[in-house]
Amino acid sequence: MKVLPTRNSTLALQRAGFACVPAMLDYAAKGETGVTFYNAKGEQLSALAWREIRERAQVVARKMIGAGFAPGERLLITADTWPGFFDAFFGAQYAGLLPVPVSIPVGIGGKDAYLDQLRRQFAASGAVAAVGLDDLAGYLADAAQEFPAVRLHGGMDVLYSLPEKPVDLRPLGADDLCYIQFSSGSTRNPHGVQITQRALMANLAGMVGPSGLGVVEGDRAVSWLPLYHDMGLIGFLMAPLSTQISIDYLTPRDFARRPMQWLNLIARNRGTISYSPSFGYDLAVRRGAAQVPADLDLACWRHAGIGGDMVRADVLERFAATFEPFGFNRKAFIPSYGMAEVCLAITFCPHDTGVRTDAVDRTALAEAQRAVPAADPGDDHKSRRFVICGRVLPGHRLEVRDSEGRVLPDRAVGRIFVSGPSIMPGYFGEPEASREVLSDGWLDTGDLGYMLDGEIVVTGRAKDLIIVNGRNVWPQDIEWAVEAKRVVKNGDAAAFSIDTGEGERVVVAVLARVSGDEARVTLARDVAGAVREAIAVDCDVALVPPTLGLPTTSSGKLSRARTKANYLAGLYAPKPAAA
Amino acid sequence: MIVETDGMTETLERTRVSGQSRAEVIREICRHLAPFQTGERPITGDTVIAKDLTIDSLAIMDMVMELEDHFDISIPMNVVAEIHTVDQLADTIQKLCARR
Repeated sequence: MKVLPTRNSTLALQRAGFACVPAMLDYAAKGETGVTFYNAKGEQLSALAWREIRERAQVVARKMIGAGFAPGERLLITADTWPGFFDAFFGAQYAGLLPVPVSIPVGIGGKDAYLDQLRRQFAASGAVAAVGLDDLAGYLADAAQEFPAVRLHGGMDVLYSLPEKPVDLRPLGADDLCYIQFSSGSTRNPHGVQITQRALMANLAGMVGPSGLGVVEGDRAVSWLPLYHDMGLIGFLMAPLSTQISIDYLTPRDFARRPMQWLNLIARNRGTISYSPSFGYDLAVRRGAAQVPADLDLACWRHAGIGGDMVRADVLERFAATFEPFGFNRKAFIPSYGMAEVCLAITFCPHDTGVRTDAVDRTALAEAQRAVPAADPGDDHKSRRFVICGRVLPGHRLEVRDSEGRVLPDRAVGRIFVSGPSIMPGYFGEPEASREVLSDGWLDTGDLGYMLDGEIVVTGRAKDLIIVNGRNVWPQDIEWAVEAKRVVKNGDAAAFSIDTGEGERVVVAVLARVSGDEARVTLARDVAGAVREAIAVDCDVALVPPTLGLPTTSSGKLSRARTKANYLAGLYAPKPAAA
Repeated sequence: MIVETDGMTETLERTRVSGQSRAEVIREICRHLAPFQTGERPITGDTVIAKDLTIDSLAIMDMVMELEDHFDISIPMNVVAEIHTVDQLADTIQKLCARR
């Protein structure tokens, strides 16, 4: 099979500035670029030019309109990375329906949890139809049973087999919604972010423009990011589409299995733009470094973006050190910051600067919420490094405020608020939850950070912040301290605090990959010791059976709130008496 | 000529059809699971993979991937999500091998 071209032969590259998603696809369909799907072995599965995606979508749209689906009704789609998703998502765009992308199940024995999640998503979105992979048709049927409003469900054939009627298309326009995005951190009680066409177009313009990634002719995107996540769907489907460039896809599963295929694909197809949360770079180093082909050449990769979670400088440094001999340019790193409530992105670092960090004094940070430059940045006990995440996109504003709502000066830590044309109008069907985060056109991001010469430095989630004896402690610091000592693996620790009535008590839940009482006592002691040494706080240690795992959000991030809830519910073993 | 149909002939019959002996499938699964065995309880067909062993979800994914490579099969995600025990995993692998 041939590789779809990186450049269009005659179609001029238009960098965003469209009215809506159908208009973007109409324009891109005039060229030869498109999307290609690869498997874990690096073999090409199928390729669809934007032109074919548009043709297929319009057929699907006429079938859905012909079947009587009304404008604005919701279509739930299991968002695996396969052509069916494109048919359903863009079909809905041309039929005036709202897609609701949802995740797919993972792992052995995950059926019941997945069905629960599907039911919550049916309830929150009020979907009237649900389509997905053939393999998941049975699950959709199971979950849909309780929802009589769901008139059609199954594999993609339930759409393909509808008769195509000679009806007019009803494309979503500039004033319409675009789709519903289940946001991060919403596994238990999902909030569907309303992504409007207008907000999406504004965010795309910022993202692909000079203050964002500055997409130019010759760019090619490579992605393994899940399409049910904003970074996958907007960052690596909508943004390339808004600039008519080609995309090469791996599924998230195949990436997790064979992380090197991500880098192989970039090298082979001369990809220039690819993103990952820090953990993806970590996975590539830990599981890929042993199988790097000698001729791997990553010199083509000009924007290696990082987003979706706290950016971890240590992880990125390891990645750069591992892959610099293979042409990787560490200046290609672009830390960025955003959330589904602003579509995707709100700040980007400038190009060709790489990861820049700010080392601040731990004591001032904890006791005065001030980010004072560290006297000795090399001393990890006294200083704490944060990654600088760049400037707010043009046309948007970003403020750091104190608890009274006053705007704070540089280096004062507070809550991050953003405003501008990318902000959501609210959560779907949830006016109260929307009012909690939106006011006077400003979004309360729920994140903490400080400003530094016009750039934002994100320090953590406000709701996760632990206050011990008036001292602010970031749970990440505790987790990283435990992980840095190699007491447990990355991602195996979750820190939170519980109210004892006399103040907060820090609890660190760790996966206990050891058996025997003695080993468990030792593990608990080592964890507490590492935390005491690095952060100077005492903590209780909860040992979590590895089979239970630590709870994550729908986008795979550690959920400290649910870890805490589980702990309080007595799900985790009490700490061994001797610890 | 075998007149009685006992468990062994059934197993052999399945072996011939699938081209993969059940013993080999079980052996291969146990090879992956052995490091996660806890206490004195041996790994048997009834062992519930995610409960009775100290294996985490990433290691389970690794194992499934390596088993797929070893037997040159692909286990659909909905099938994986319904597997709990070693026997169920072995059944799935044998069935897919037979269809290959």
